Amino acid sequence: MMNTAASQSPERTIIASIDGCTKRYPGVLALDNASFDVAAGEVRALLGKNGAGKSTLIRMLTGAEVPDTGTVRIGGEELTQSGSARAQEAFSKGVRVVYQELSLVPGMTLAENLFLGRWPRKAGILSYAEMETQAQEAMARLGLDLPPSRLVTGLSPAERQLLEIARVLLGKPRLVILDEPTSSLAAAEAEKVMTAVKRVASEGIAVIYVSHRMNEIRRISQSATVMRDGRIIDTVDVAGADTREIVRLMLGSEAAQAAKLETKTRESVVLEVAQLALAPKLSSISFKLRQGEVLGIAGLLGSGRTELLQAIMGVTSFDRGTVSVDGKPVGRPNYRRMLDAGFGYTPESRKEEGIVPLLGVDENTVSTNFFTVSSYGVLSARRMADATRRVIQRLHVKTAETDTPIGTLSGGNQQKVVIGRWVHANSRILLLDEPTRGVDVEAKAQIYAIIRQLAAEGRSIIFVSSEIEELPLVCDRVVVLREGTLKEEFTSPDIDQDAVMAACIVGH
Amino acid sequence: MSMEQAAKTPASAQRRRGGFTQHMNEISLFVAIAVLYIVFTATAGGFMTFNNQINILRDAATIGIAAWAATLIIISGEIDVSVGPMVAFISVALAYLLQWGVPTPIAFVFAIAIGAALASIAGILRAYFDVPSFVATLGLWSALRGTALFVTDALPVSIGRNDIVDMLDRPVLGVPPAAIIMLALFAVFAFVSRKTAFGRSVFAIGGNPHAAFLSGINVSRIRVALFAIAGAMAAVSGILLLSRLGSGNATAASGLEFDVIAAVVVGGTALSGGRGSMLGTLLGVLVITLIGNGLVLLGINPFFQQVVRGLIIVIAVLANIQAIKRGAARNKG
Repeated sequence: MMNTAASQSPERTIIASIDGCTKRYPGVLALDNASFDVAAGEVRALLGKNGAGKSTLIRMLTGAEVPDTGTVRIGGEELTQSGSARAQEAFSKGVRVVYQELSLVPGMTLAENLFLGRWPRKAGILSYAEMETQAQEAMARLGLDLPPSRLVTGLSPAERQLLEIARVLLGKPRLVILDEPTSSLAAAEAEKVMTAVKRVASEGIAVIYVSHRMNEIRRISQSATVMRDGRIIDTVDVAGADTREIVRLMLGSEAAQAAKLETKTRESVVLEVAQLALAPKLSSISFKLRQGEVLGIAGLLGSGRTELLQAIMGVTSFDRGTVSVDGKPVGRPNYRRMLDAGFGYTPESRKEEGIVPLLGVDENTVSTNFFTVSSYGVLSARRMADATRRVIQRLHVKTAETDTPIGTLSGGNQQKVVIGRWVHANSRILLLDEPTRGVDVEAKAQIYAIIRQLAAEGRSIIFVSSEIEELPLVCDRVVVLREGTLKEEFTSPDIDQDAVMAACIVGH
Repeated sequence: MSMEQAAKTPASAQRRRGGFTQHMNEISLFVAIAVLYIVFTATAGGFMTFNNQINILRDAATIGIAAWAATLIIISGEIDVSVGPMVAFISVALAYLLQWGVPTPIAFVFAIAIGAALASIAGILRAYFDVPSFVATLGLWSALRGTALFVTDALPVSIGRNDIVDMLDRPVLGVPPAAIIMLALFAVFAFVSRKTAFGRSVFAIGGNPHAAFLSGINVSRIRVALFAIAGAMAAVSGILLLSRLGSGNATAASGLEFDVIAAVVVGGTALSGGRGSMLGTLLGVLVITLIGNGLVLLGINPFFQQVVRGLIIVIAVLANIQAIKRGAARNKG
């Protein structure tokens, strides 16, 4: 079964291969006896949910990690170095990665960015003419027709992504790894990137393409390797495979049947969003949130989940549509007004936007409402400690003292405080963006319980998650965000993981 | 239960060490001040006299009053370089107000209001138009000094006899009012920074402005308020300057902004924001003032004094950063 699709073509030139690799981190088996290869001119899709081992596999190929057992070969030669020399070794053998986080200097020209740090020189002076000629050529190879002397500022996300790929191509790579290159792009934009990827492969370069958008995968790859729990589950022929089958491979059969949730959803609609549009990600979003309901929003990375929550909260403004609270339209949402109306929002990136690391758990908690812990405008240490203790107890935050700096807590406990500050503010509508991201298993279960408990008290919650398997555990209802609108809807207890995942990744 | 305990032990140990590191800064400043006292008492004649100690307090007031507000601004992740010209400008403006016969108490209120209003221009530029605070206050720095010089032709604006103004320079039980005002304001600022929502919001904004905004803190309004407060404090310094010199003076307080920033930074407040303390700044002000005073008494060439001061400031901050790094490394290990 292994490599069925890949072994079909007879004259494959293997560019990179991994043979029987195992990698164990403390507490996790990140890669379990994995074997994998990719040939010249091939675009291999790599699929798997978070934590399936995709990144570890990539890190093996780039030499960023040394396998505990097994070998990694690039161009037929085994990587032998360890430490940072290993990454250097893989690099010199032609392995290149284009990461999601773009690494361009906006204030420099396209040409300067393409040659960043190794600008062509003549007698010590930068040779702009040569740089720009080469840059023009490199960009033309990808169908990017822009003057090389213009600045990166003002380029569209797709153009930036193409520039990144062009930069990688300048080094004459043999294997190019793309990590969700279209996740931040709208559909039309993604098109350009896919065309470029096809061109890269047609030059005889091996491409590994990490993505979950099945329609993209179907168009550019012949075969897809599916990973789960650190193992290579199968490599399937994309043309012959049904999306449901791929989902089954990704999620496995052990997908636990969720216990029936005790729903406390009431009739009254607390939040209604109608025809909300925000270019380019969201075209028309409509939904209702009832009191006491946990509404899950599923969708792939880059499907516009964060944008939707921020538009509702008034953090960013939207183009069209209405947001109504308790049946009354709010006009243009403004963040502070939404907070006054009883909303609470927890951002996706806890460290960048959620916590003030140097301040205590107490101050991170009461920052949503200083009023209730002050008397005559002066903060009361006792009231602050009491309020914090209440939140700590209710949300099971593990902290030594109420004023321990929050930066020293584990991710799960930080997240509980970030949710807890809205409990302190007594918010009744909570918008939680990926509240379980980067949180350990035990803390996840606690966060699910907290969310159910808050809903049982009559609060309404929007729960955004890219981890499909947690949706049935928390949500009364799940809607799928895809192509700018909400598509399928699932109601507890009929939230079937396979069906939700399929709805997320399915094509047009 | 056992798990909670397990979680508790390392965390509380960490906290104790964290607390020690935090006070490490103040302790080392105390030591530095003690060393300065010992050295200057032994080497500089007239250093340990009552009169000189009073002088030190009065000099400290000039830097200190502005430094309290600057500490909050720097904790919030901003900077204000307009202090010196603001003090001079206010002293000139106040002198004119008094010349025109505005009753003294009302003139004082006007002076403080003018200071707050002018400085809040920089605050508004920062908070609502994203102009970096360094640039906004640099503009103010140049414009205020220029206006004061232009209007007065660089000549002192004398105010004649004024009992209230004179009273501000008359020692109470040997202590100059400026020093009393400085210490009273210190108490207010120390209280505000630790005990009010405003003060804690300043720390939150400096530590992570996104998180502060998302938890509902009015980041823009607090930024404007911070600059307005700094302007008001500079005005208080301006009033005291007028009382000391008996005239408004457009060329006064030259370079004061650098002494203020140096005192705050020597006091352990991070220029990157989010971390700092009023007590640290108080000690920093003392260090800067003592160095200035001692070097004069030692009769060191005034040009060379600047070199020594520069070296001492950089060494103090360097030592502080090293101490914090060592503390952090110990916390990790």
